[in-house]
Amino acid sequence: MRFTRADKWLIGLLFAGAVGGIGLNMAVLSTASGQEAHISKNGQPMETIPLRPGYHEELRLGGATGYNLVEADNGRIRVKEADCPDQLCVRSGWIRVSPQQIVCLPYRVVIKIESARPADVDEITR
Amino acid sequence: MKTRRIVMLGLFVAIAGVLHAVESWLPLPIPVPGAKLGLANIVSLFVIVLFGWRDALAVAVLRVLLGSLLSGVFLGPAFILAMSGAVLSALAMSYAHQTWRSAFSLVGVSVIGAAVHNITQITAAAILVASADLYWYLPYLMLLALPTGVATGLTGAFFLARLPSSVRE
Repeated sequence: MRFTRADKWLIGLLFAGAVGGIGLNMAVLSTASGQEAHISKNGQPMETIPLRPGYHEELRLGGATGYNLVEADNGRIRVKEADCPDQLCVRSGWIRVSPQQIVCLPYRVVIKIESARPADVDEITR
Repeated sequence: MKTRRIVMLGLFVAIAGVLHAVESWLPLPIPVPGAKLGLANIVSLFVIVLFGWRDALAVAVLRVLLGSLLSGVFLGPAFILAMSGAVLSALAMSYAHQTWRSAFSLVGVSVIGAAVHNITQITAAAILVASADLYWYLPYLMLLALPTGVATGLTGAFFLARLPSSVRE
Protein backbone atom coordinates (compact mmCIF):
# COMPACT_ATOMS: atom_id res chain seq x y z
CA MET A 1 0.00 0.00 0.00
CA ARG A 2 1.58 3.22 -1.13
CA PHE A 3 0.42 6.82 -0.98
CA THR A 4 0.08 8.33 -4.44
CA ARG A 5 1.19 11.87 -5.20
CA ALA A 6 -2.45 13.03 -5.30
CA ASP A 7 -3.00 11.48 -1.86
CA LYS A 8 -0.12 13.46 -0.42
CA TRP A 9 -1.32 16.69 -2.03
CA LEU A 10 -4.85 16.12 -0.75
CA ILE A 11 -3.69 15.43 2.79
CA GLY A 12 -1.24 18.34 2.68
CA LEU A 13 -3.84 20.81 1.41
CA LEU A 14 -6.47 19.72 3.94
CA PHE A 15 -3.88 19.90 6.73
CA ALA A 16 -2.82 23.40 5.65
CA GLY A 17 -6.47 24.47 5.42
CA ALA A 18 -7.28 23.10 8.88
CA VAL A 19 -4.20 24.66 10.49
CA GLY A 20 -4.89 27.94 8.68
CA GLY A 21 -8.50 27.87 9.88
CA ILE A 22 -7.41 27.25 13.46
CA GLY A 23 -4.86 30.06 13.14
CA LEU A 24 -7.60 32.35 11.86
CA ASN A 25 -9.73 31.37 14.86
CA MET A 26 -6.87 32.22 17.19
CA ALA A 27 -6.37 35.56 15.46
CA VAL A 28 -10.05 36.49 15.63
CA LEU A 29 -10.18 35.27 19.21
CA SER A 30 -9.99 38.45 21.21
CA THR A 31 -9.10 38.36 24.87
CA ALA A 32 -10.50 41.84 25.47
CA SER A 33 -12.86 42.27 28.39
CA GLY A 34 -16.33 43.67 27.91
CA GLN A 35 -17.64 40.57 26.15
CA GLU A 36 -21.08 39.12 26.35
CA ALA A 37 -22.69 35.77 25.70
CA HIS A 38 -25.56 35.62 23.26
CA ILE A 39 -27.96 32.75 23.75
CA SER A 40 -30.30 31.77 20.96
CA LYS A 41 -32.84 29.03 20.51
CA ASN A 42 -34.08 27.89 17.08
CA GLY A 43 -32.05 30.77 15.66
CA GLN A 44 -34.03 33.32 17.69
CA PRO A 45 -32.04 35.49 20.13
CA MET A 46 -33.11 34.69 23.69
CA GLU A 47 -30.80 36.27 26.24
CA THR A 48 -27.63 38.32 26.45
CA ILE A 49 -25.46 37.75 29.50
CA PRO A 50 -22.53 40.05 30.32
CA LEU A 51 -19.22 38.28 30.94
CA ARG A 52 -17.19 40.34 33.37
CA PRO A 53 -15.15 39.54 36.48
CA GLY A 54 -17.29 39.06 39.56
CA TYR A 55 -20.59 38.66 37.69
CA HIS A 56 -22.62 35.55 38.40
CA GLU A 57 -25.87 34.43 36.89
CA GLU A 58 -27.74 31.19 36.44
CA LEU A 59 -30.35 30.89 33.77
CA ARG A 60 -32.77 28.10 33.03
CA LEU A 61 -33.86 27.57 29.44
CA GLY A 62 -36.85 25.37 28.71
CA GLY A 63 -39.45 23.84 31.02
CA ALA A 64 -39.47 20.99 33.53
CA THR A 65 -38.11 18.68 30.87
CA GLY A 66 -36.04 19.67 27.87
CA TYR A 67 -34.00 22.19 29.82
CA ASN A 68 -30.49 23.65 29.78
CA LEU A 69 -29.16 25.24 32.97
CA VAL A 70 -26.70 27.94 31.91
CA GLU A 71 -24.20 29.34 34.40
CA ALA A 72 -22.17 32.52 33.90
CA ASP A 73 -19.40 33.11 36.41
CA ASN A 74 -16.50 35.52 36.56
CA GLY A 75 -16.22 36.21 32.85
CA ARG A 76 -16.95 32.71 31.59
CA ILE A 77 -20.05 30.69 30.78
CA ARG A 78 -21.06 27.05 30.55
CA VAL A 79 -24.04 24.74 30.46
CA LYS A 80 -24.08 23.46 34.02
CA GLU A 81 -26.78 20.89 33.55
CA ALA A 82 -29.12 19.64 30.85
CA ASP A 83 -31.39 16.66 30.38
CA CYS A 84 -30.48 16.13 26.73
CA PRO A 85 -29.39 12.59 25.84
CA ASP A 86 -25.94 13.36 24.46
CA GLN A 87 -24.72 15.89 27.10
CA LEU A 88 -22.37 17.42 24.54
CA CYS A 89 -23.26 20.94 25.72
CA VAL A 90 -22.37 20.07 29.32
CA ARG A 91 -19.14 18.36 28.32
CA SER A 92 -18.11 21.40 26.27
CA GLY A 93 -17.26 23.03 29.61
CA TRP A 94 -16.48 26.68 30.22
CA ILE A 95 -15.97 29.12 27.36
CA ARG A 96 -14.69 32.66 27.82
CA VAL A 97 -13.53 34.26 24.59
CA SER A 98 -15.02 35.03 21.20
CA PRO A 99 -15.65 33.14 18.91
CA GLN A 100 -16.04 30.14 21.19
CA GLN A 101 -19.50 28.62 21.40
CA ILE A 102 -21.53 25.89 22.99
CA VAL A 103 -24.15 24.10 20.96
CA CYS A 104 -27.00 21.92 22.18
CA LEU A 105 -28.36 20.20 19.10
CA PRO A 106 -31.31 18.39 20.70
CA TYR A 107 -32.80 21.67 21.99
CA ARG A 108 -31.41 23.88 19.17
CA VAL A 109 -29.62 26.12 21.67
CA VAL A 110 -26.49 28.07 20.73
CA ILE A 111 -24.43 30.06 23.22
CA LYS A 112 -21.79 32.20 21.57
CA ILE A 113 -19.45 34.86 22.87
CA GLU A 114 -19.20 38.20 21.14
CA SER A 115 -17.50 41.44 21.92
CA ALA A 116 -19.97 43.82 23.51
CA ARG A 117 -18.90 46.61 21.20
CA PRO A 118 -16.86 46.66 18.01
CA ALA A 119 -13.19 47.49 18.46
CA ASP A 120 -12.57 51.21 18.13
CA VAL A 121 -10.00 52.40 15.61
CA ASP A 122 -8.46 54.58 18.32
CA GLU A 123 -7.94 51.55 20.53
CA ILE A 124 -6.10 49.73 17.76
CA THR A 125 -3.83 52.62 16.83
CA ARG A 126 -3.11 53.46 20.45
CA MET B 1 -24.42 -14.83 -8.38
CA LYS B 2 -27.41 -12.76 -7.40
CA THR B 3 -27.98 -14.63 -4.14
CA ARG B 4 -24.33 -14.30 -3.36
CA ARG B 5 -24.43 -10.53 -3.86
CA ILE B 6 -27.46 -10.22 -1.56
CA VAL B 7 -25.70 -12.28 1.11
CA MET B 8 -22.51 -10.23 0.83
CA LEU B 9 -24.34 -6.90 1.02
CA GLY B 10 -26.37 -8.15 3.99
CA LEU B 11 -23.15 -9.10 5.75
CA PHE B 12 -21.64 -5.69 5.00
CA VAL B 13 -24.73 -3.88 6.33
CA ALA B 14 -24.53 -5.95 9.53
CA ILE B 15 -20.81 -5.28 10.01
CA ALA B 16 -21.15 -1.57 9.26
CA GLY B 17 -24.20 -1.19 11.52
CA VAL B 18 -22.38 -2.78 14.44
CA LEU B 19 -19.24 -0.68 13.84
CA HIS B 20 -21.42 2.44 13.65
CA ALA B 21 -23.12 1.63 16.97
CA VAL B 22 -19.98 0.47 18.80
CA GLU B 23 -18.14 3.59 17.68
CA SER B 24 -20.67 5.82 19.47
CA TRP B 25 -19.83 4.01 22.73
CA LEU B 26 -16.11 4.68 22.43
CA PRO B 27 -15.02 7.70 24.44
CA LEU B 28 -12.33 9.63 22.61
CA PRO B 29 -9.62 11.21 24.78
CA ILE B 30 -9.99 14.60 23.09
CA PRO B 31 -12.27 17.52 23.95
CA VAL B 32 -13.81 17.75 20.48
CA PRO B 33 -17.50 16.83 20.56
CA GLY B 34 -18.64 15.11 17.39
CA ALA B 35 -15.24 13.65 16.50
CA LYS B 36 -15.40 9.98 15.53
CA LEU B 37 -13.10 7.31 14.17
CA GLY B 38 -15.27 6.59 11.13
CA LEU B 39 -14.88 2.81 11.42
CA ALA B 40 -17.99 2.18 9.31
CA ASN B 41 -16.19 4.01 6.53
CA ILE B 42 -14.03 0.89 6.04
CA VAL B 43 -17.13 -1.01 4.97
CA SER B 44 -18.16 1.77 2.58
CA LEU B 45 -14.71 1.52 0.94
CA PHE B 46 -15.14 -2.24 0.57
CA VAL B 47 -18.55 -1.98 -1.05
CA ILE B 48 -17.43 0.79 -3.41
CA VAL B 49 -14.49 -1.30 -4.63
CA LEU B 50 -16.38 -4.61 -4.84
CA PHE B 51 -19.89 -3.54 -5.93
CA GLY B 52 -20.00 0.12 -7.00
CA TRP B 53 -21.77 3.27 -5.90
CA ARG B 54 -25.41 2.13 -5.89
CA ASP B 55 -24.75 -0.66 -3.44
CA ALA B 56 -22.42 1.58 -1.40
CA LEU B 57 -25.21 4.13 -1.03
CA ALA B 58 -27.72 1.43 -0.05
CA VAL B 59 -25.33 -0.06 2.52
CA ALA B 60 -24.59 3.41 3.96
CA VAL B 61 -28.29 4.25 4.40
CA LEU B 62 -29.14 0.84 5.89
CA ARG B 63 -26.08 1.03 8.12
CA VAL B 64 -27.14 4.34 9.65
CA LEU B 65 -30.70 3.04 10.16
CA LEU B 66 -29.42 -0.11 11.87
CA GLY B 67 -26.64 1.60 13.83
CA SER B 68 -28.87 4.37 15.17
CA LEU B 69 -31.53 1.87 16.19
CA LEU B 70 -28.87 -0.10 18.07
CA SER B 71 -27.46 2.97 19.81
CA GLY B 72 -30.88 4.51 20.52
CA VAL B 73 -30.57 7.79 18.61
CA PHE B 74 -33.02 6.92 15.82
CA LEU B 75 -34.61 10.08 14.31
CA GLY B 76 -32.79 12.34 16.80
CA PRO B 77 -30.35 15.07 15.77
CA ALA B 78 -27.42 12.63 15.88
CA PHE B 79 -29.31 10.45 13.40
CA ILE B 80 -29.85 13.36 10.99
CA LEU B 81 -26.15 14.25 11.15
CA ALA B 82 -25.05 10.64 10.68
CA MET B 83 -27.43 10.01 7.77
CA SER B 84 -26.54 13.16 5.83
CA GLY B 85 -22.82 12.59 6.41
CA ALA B 86 -22.97 8.90 5.47
CA VAL B 87 -24.94 9.47 2.25
CA LEU B 88 -22.83 12.34 0.92
CA SER B 89 -19.49 10.80 1.90
CA ALA B 90 -20.46 7.49 0.25
CA LEU B 91 -21.35 9.36 -2.95
CA ALA B 92 -18.15 11.44 -2.85
CA MET B 93 -15.96 8.39 -2.26
CA SER B 94 -17.66 6.46 -5.08
CA TYR B 95 -17.14 9.38 -7.44
CA ALA B 96 -13.50 9.79 -6.41
CA HIS B 97 -12.82 6.08 -6.76
CA GLN B 98 -14.45 5.77 -10.18
CA THR B 99 -13.22 9.01 -11.73
CA TRP B 100 -9.79 9.56 -10.23
CA ARG B 101 -8.79 5.93 -9.66
CA SER B 102 -5.39 6.45 -11.24
CA ALA B 103 -4.65 9.47 -9.05
CA PHE B 104 -5.98 8.56 -5.60
CA SER B 105 -5.29 5.37 -3.70
CA LEU B 106 -7.88 4.06 -1.25
CA VAL B 107 -6.27 6.28 1.40
CA GLY B 108 -7.00 9.39 -0.66
CA VAL B 109 -10.56 8.21 -1.32
CA SER B 110 -11.04 7.59 2.40
CA VAL B 111 -9.70 11.04 3.31
CA ILE B 112 -12.08 12.62 0.77
CA GLY B 113 -14.93 10.68 2.41
CA ALA B 114 -13.91 11.84 5.90
CA ALA B 115 -13.65 15.49 4.77
CA VAL B 116 -17.02 15.43 3.00
CA HIS B 117 -18.55 13.71 6.04
CA ASN B 118 -17.38 16.55 8.31
CA ILE B 119 -18.46 19.35 6.01
CA THR B 120 -21.90 17.76 5.60
CA GLN B 121 -22.34 17.25 9.34
CA ILE B 122 -21.36 20.82 10.19
CA THR B 123 -23.75 22.08 7.51
CA ALA B 124 -26.59 19.89 8.84
CA ALA B 125 -25.90 21.03 12.41
CA ALA B 126 -25.76 24.68 11.32
CA ILE B 127 -29.15 24.29 9.62
CA LEU B 128 -30.59 22.54 12.71
CA VAL B 129 -29.61 25.34 15.09
CA ALA B 130 -30.00 28.08 12.42
CA SER B 131 -26.51 29.45 13.08
CA ALA B 132 -23.74 29.65 10.49
CA ASP B 133 -21.19 30.25 13.26
CA LEU B 134 -20.78 26.50 13.61
CA TYR B 135 -18.35 26.55 10.68
CA TRP B 136 -15.90 28.02 13.18
CA TYR B 137 -15.55 24.46 14.39
CA LEU B 138 -14.79 22.87 11.00
CA PRO B 139 -10.96 23.25 11.02
CA TYR B 140 -10.70 21.33 14.31
CA LEU B 141 -12.83 18.47 12.99
CA MET B 142 -10.89 18.51 9.72
CA LEU B 143 -7.56 18.22 11.52
CA LEU B 144 -8.85 15.08 13.26
CA ALA B 145 -10.42 13.72 10.07
CA LEU B 146 -6.99 13.45 8.42
CA PRO B 147 -5.45 10.78 10.71
CA THR B 148 -8.74 8.89 11.05
CA GLY B 149 -9.33 9.04 7.29
CA VAL B 150 -5.81 7.76 6.58
CA ALA B 151 -6.22 5.01 9.20
CA THR B 152 -9.54 3.75 7.80
CA GLY B 153 -8.14 3.94 4.26
CA LEU B 154 -5.07 1.88 5.21
CA THR B 155 -7.24 -0.64 7.08
CA GLY B 156 -9.57 -0.99 4.09
CA ALA B 157 -6.67 -1.42 1.67
CA PHE B 158 -5.02 -3.96 3.98
CA PHE B 159 -8.09 -6.18 4.11
CA LEU B 160 -8.95 -5.76 0.42
CA ALA B 161 -5.47 -6.92 -0.56
CA ARG B 162 -5.93 -10.07 1.56
CA LEU B 163 -9.48 -10.81 0.45
CA PRO B 164 -9.91 -14.46 -0.62
CA SER B 165 -10.50 -14.71 -4.35
CA SER B 166 -13.84 -16.45 -3.71
CA VAL B 167 -15.21 -13.19 -2.28
CA ARG B 168 -13.94 -11.15 -5.19
CA GLU B 169 -16.18 -13.09 -7.63
